[in-house]
Amino acid sequence: MRFFLLPALLVILILPSLGQFLDPAAAPAAPVTVYDSVVRIEVSTQTLDYRTPWNSGRFSGGIGTGFLIGQNRFLTNAHVVSDARRVLITKRGSSQKHPARVIHIAHDCDLALLEVEQFAPFSQLPHLEFGGMPKLESEVSAIGYPVGGDRLSVTRGVVSRIDFRPYSHSRADSHLVIQIDAAINPGNSGGPVVQDGKVMGVAFQGLTQADNTGYIIPMPVVSRFLKDVEDGEYDHYVDIGVSTFPLFNPAMRKAYQLEADGKGVLVTRVVPESQCDGVLERGDILLSIDGHGIDSAGNINVGGEFLDMNEVVERKFAGDEVAFTFLRTGKKKDAKVTLKAFAASRIYAMKYGVTPRFSVYSGLVFQPLDFNLFATYKFENRNLRKLYEEYISEGVFEKRKDIVVLTRVESDQLTSHLSGFTGMVVEKVNDVEIVSLKQLHDILHQKNAPEFLKIEFDGGSRPLVIPSVDAAKAHPRIMAQVGISREAQLD
Amino acid sequence: MKLHFLPAFALTFLTVLSIPVSAAIEDSVLRVNSTLQSYSPSQPWEKTSPQKLRGLGALLSGNRVLTTAQMVADQIYLELESADSTQSVPAKVIAVDYDANLALLAPIGESGFLSKMVPAEVSPPSKPGDSVDIVQLEDNGSSQTTSGSIRSLELLSTFVSGRYFLCYEVKASMQTEGNSFTLPAYRDGKFCGLLTSYNSKDQICDILSSDIISAFLKDAEDGEYQGFPSMGVGFTTTEDPNFRKWLQIPADQGGLYINRVLPTSSANAAGMTKGDVLLSIGGHPIDRKGYFQHPDYGPLYWTHLVKGSRKVGENVEVEVLREGKIKNLDLLLRKSGERLLASHLYGQAPPFLIKGGLVFQELSLPYLKAFGKDWATRAPMNLLEILSNPEDFEEGRRRVVVLTRVIPTQATIGYERMSNQVVESVNGQPVRGLPELEKALAQTPENGLHKIETDDIPYRIYLDQILTESVDQQFKTSGLPSLSRSYSVE
Repeated sequence: MRFFLLPALLVILILPSLGQFLDPAAAPAAPVTVYDSVVRIEVSTQTLDYRTPWNSGRFSGGIGTGFLIGQNRFLTNAHVVSDARRVLITKRGSSQKHPARVIHIAHDCDLALLEVEQFAPFSQLPHLEFGGMPKLESEVSAIGYPVGGDRLSVTRGVVSRIDFRPYSHSRADSHLVIQIDAAINPGNSGGPVVQDGKVMGVAFQGLTQADNTGYIIPMPVVSRFLKDVEDGEYDHYVDIGVSTFPLFNPAMRKAYQLEADGKGVLVTRVVPESQCDGVLERGDILLSIDGHGIDSAGNINVGGEFLDMNEVVERKFAGDEVAFTFLRTGKKKDAKVTLKAFAASRIYAMKYGVTPRFSVYSGLVFQPLDFNLFATYKFENRNLRKLYEEYISEGVFEKRKDIVVLTRVESDQLTSHLSGFTGMVVEKVNDVEIVSLKQLHDILHQKNAPEFLKIEFDGGSRPLVIPSVDAAKAHPRIMAQVGISREAQLD
Repeated sequence: MKLHFLPAFALTFLTVLSIPVSAAIEDSVLRVNSTLQSYSPSQPWEKTSPQKLRGLGALLSGNRVLTTAQMVADQIYLELESADSTQSVPAKVIAVDYDANLALLAPIGESGFLSKMVPAEVSPPSKPGDSVDIVQLEDNGSSQTTSGSIRSLELLSTFVSGRYFLCYEVKASMQTEGNSFTLPAYRDGKFCGLLTSYNSKDQICDILSSDIISAFLKDAEDGEYQGFPSMGVGFTTTEDPNFRKWLQIPADQGGLYINRVLPTSSANAAGMTKGDVLLSIGGHPIDRKGYFQHPDYGPLYWTHLVKGSRKVGENVEVEVLREGKIKNLDLLLRKSGERLLASHLYGQAPPFLIKGGLVFQELSLPYLKAFGKDWATRAPMNLLEILSNPEDFEEGRRRVVVLTRVIPTQATIGYERMSNQVVESVNGQPVRGLPELEKALAQTPENGLHKIETDDIPYRIYLDQILTESVDQQFKTSGLPSLSRSYSVE
């Protein structure tokens, strides 16, 4: 289970800041031809504003790096081309800008594939070759277009750690990363990190509190992405939706009739409607995954590598199977589960390039709760925070597809006494329990409305009531007054 | 020669001015010194470092001294000291009301210097415009009197947050004289209130009114202090015209919308329900913001009609609007019932239990507040939830027992990261409060394993009984003064 919120301590390397420029001559490790396949990516973005979702949002842009990996296939980071309106690619030693577009974008592992409209100018460039995992303490070079100059930059560093770490772009995912001690700077994002002329990964993020710490996306993650999109579509990572608790305590082991052999981990929660729902249950003891024995802390040993059992699933795709053996009330059982992506869990992931959903009625603005909305409004209402936190773990999503929040009350004579309602979750409208934005929208606009429109909130001190006739009259008036161009975006 | 005379004249003039306004006032003012020491919220077997407080009190008849509850909350030592600081006697608390911020003290044993003082009489109620004299004591024992006039009467919370009582707002320009702001105030030579805070920017003093003080003293007379009554309802205002239309409140009425009725409250016993609109209490109409018109004091917040002008055991007529129809209810006023979460722990040692390294405590507001300035968002979500919606947890519980932390021991291997989990049951028995938890853990469990069920991962843990007992023995020898503090329940 990796459904938690991360503090934003990782910096994405597309943001402008001061950087260092290293002389390419100091890093002769990579052959010159590698450099030519590394391109500069210039992006203009449009970021929609969750406070006024009907508006056009903010226009800005940035610079990143990409590299050629196949016939008209450039690899870069997802965050380099997120919310892009226009993408331009520039070859090394040329000022010509070539229009490009995003073919695949995977926000959960921060990778994207681009193609240019006219491939001819690039057709002579070598396709960069992929390597494997670099060894600890071995040297790698990061190539890219970081701040501090316009030309290509190469930075050398040593592989200092290989770990399972959060990917800051989506705020909700953790995968394998390689930490190097090179100064990777804004603009380096999406650039290749090479060793002996082979790509070892993609530079993608740094750390705010530490100097000379750069993170790169290693080959297992890159390969998984490329394999996933082979069928023309990106299917996301899969998750088994199971939480576990280590079985170190002898009393605990005795209660579950286990030997003191350090094997087996306790299942404490199975996410409702997840792949393991109905297969595993709370109190089961997981013994193995795909034949790898699970220890009492939930770790496995694969070919001498010590891994978290979730890493087995991490390398799989939607549609793949995973096999478990487990104990239930002392009896050994086997189960096979077909993996699939779990869409509901993306409530905790930052969304990009998606038009925010909302519905406005009579000056009341309703929006479904997700990471973007939470980050925008920093809600403090306890009922809201609890529903958000338990959306997956307690299966809130089974009943409520959306957690609908009243985010704004626009000023009007009709709404002037409606203070204290914003930031609360809509529980019922006209006595109907609200489970999605669409349903709320339909109820608000239904014909034969009752005398009063009545909205009740989770933990609210009173219902919000407006005579239906007045609400209907005020609706177009407030839209015009406040300058709301559209009354809803439902999907 | 004339030049010689003038300074002497001026000196005499100054001396005359420094003579107190009324001799009787300073004869009843004395110092109260206290040492306060509360229990650590996270390690309740220990006390935090002691804190000394100096304030003033007023001597009343029968060798009783009135001061604020603030001065005596969590006190471990109390003494009364003469104005000139030359004499002192140890003292005890005979009655205290933390909500109203009042405490009545008496000397332990000999009354000492008190017998030379002149007790003050308690003044009848004061009105806006009345002049009051606030007394401070200087180091040398002389008194400083500041006069001011009552600008208004308001309900203020002076100590325990959210507990509002009638206070005077007095405009006066004061100097700070060393002691804390517990200063007696007098009107026409009679004791009329205790100053609890002073805002030097606006020059406004908050003074607890003699109405509340008289009620407190009357209640304490028989030696068994009861406390102020409470209706036990949650409410919200009805200013929103659309809301009023929906509630069918006539235009000439005010009213408060009742959104919660506590199960053990006076209001519940009288049949008040959620959704009622409270129109009047004891014939006083309540406006849409919650104020009523007091004949002498002007507009006051409605809670004064219950807490402050009436006693426990008294009946009061309450008018409510239910589905557009007026209903009269006869309310027998009770003291506010025990809450699921204690709002303060003054004057009581918080119960706790350590078992094998697991630390259990009863959830209280002070425990939540110990999470720091932003406790309302930073404290654990599952515990805040109980504060927001106590009614969801009341069934089967008197108090909420929380596994607050885990001390690493032989018995708690693997449990070290558990904290702040709500305990549901122990050895199969539901946990209503800490005494019940203690009882359940005192039994010999099945298979020699105590079973503890909580609200969070892993939901159920086990403790080896024998190992737990030996760990508890080690705790006792390694300096923990006690492994439990409990209380008895019927």
